Amino acid sequence: MRPSRNKSKVLIVILAIILAGFLFNFFQKGVRSFFYSFSAPIQRVFWEAGDSTADFLSSIFKSGELKDEVDRLEAEKNDLISQVVGFQELSQENETLREALGIGLKNEFKLSFTQIIGKDISQDFILIDKGIKDGLSEDMPVITEEKVLVGKISEVYYKFSKVMLISNKESSFDAKEINSLAGGVIKGIGSSKLLFDLIPKGETINNSDLIVSDCISGIFPEGLFIGAVINVSKSDVGSFQQAEIEPAFNLSKTKNLFIITEF
Amino acid sequence: MKKLIISIIILYFLTLFQTSFLVHFSLFGMIPNFVLVFVVLWNIFEKGDSVIGIYNAVIGGFFLDIFSDRFIGFNILILVLLAFILKLISNRYVRIPFKKI
Repeated sequence: MRPSRNKSKVLIVILAIILAGFLFNFFQKGVRSFFYSFSAPIQRVFWEAGDSTADFLSSIFKSGELKDEVDRLEAEKNDLISQVVGFQELSQENETLREALGIGLKNEFKLSFTQIIGKDISQDFILIDKGIKDGLSEDMPVITEEKVLVGKISEVYYKFSKVMLISNKESSFDAKEINSLAGGVIKGIGSSKLLFDLIPKGETINNSDLIVSDCISGIFPEGLFIGAVINVSKSDVGSFQQAEIEPAFNLSKTKNLFIITEF
Repeated sequence: MKKLIISIIILYFLTLFQTSFLVHFSLFGMIPNFVLVFVVLWNIFEKGDSVIGIYNAVIGGFFLDIFSDRFIGFNILILVLLAFILKLISNRYVRIPFKKI
């Protein structure tokens, strides 16, 4: 092939890419939806295979740590059992008081079950197998079965939806510490990391404190578990403090999710 | 044409493998990009006058864009640019002693 012919071929390719780029971005929802629709079954197979292989490999590599983990969990379990007994008594008391005051129990959220079929680590988003067809719409919160907040739907297609994880750099919402009720803003900083920002300096925040969502801005319902504080940083200059948060969700161990369709 | 169809199928499955299987094995939040590896290797070992490597870069980039949150064209541009640079270097400065693709 002659160089001049090659050059014109390359020029045609470049022009075609630019034109296709414009067209595909204009019809991006339809294009993505088309590809997701026939890729979903293959993605599901890959996801399940990856999930079980990762579990198998981690059990081999971490076999030494397992015994310590079992002992630690056993101690934790005993501690939790004693707490549950206390909570059950409180719950009964609460129920009695509610009945006496004529207050009905708060309705739980309306949930829709879904499964993860794809994930983009660098962008902190996942792909789930429910869409417009199942009554989903943008901004609906997504949680795990333990009511751990995962993210919200950012794009919805006919049969699929994209979920922006709370660790995504564009995510920010209100949250509070579960005991002291110290409020602040949870910001995603990428790579599955979170920052609890704008906490007033007067509030006390310590490592291992638990953070839940707040409903001030109406993005998420109140009380969804977000994670635990791992590092608090206070500056002498500013009037706020910050804390790094270890997210409670672990997508490599989670396959099933729930979408809150009404709250 | 046969080579192109085969590489489209390979690139499609590599993208799905990357976004649904390899994500379980991330190290420090990173996973290997097999589409990139495929495009790089193809362009290195391709015959000087063939342009299938460039087409592969377009298709590989397109599949990566479809299954990522970025606008369609982001990965295409990166891979095509990379393919051009590789072709330029391998055609002008590198001689691979064994038979090329």
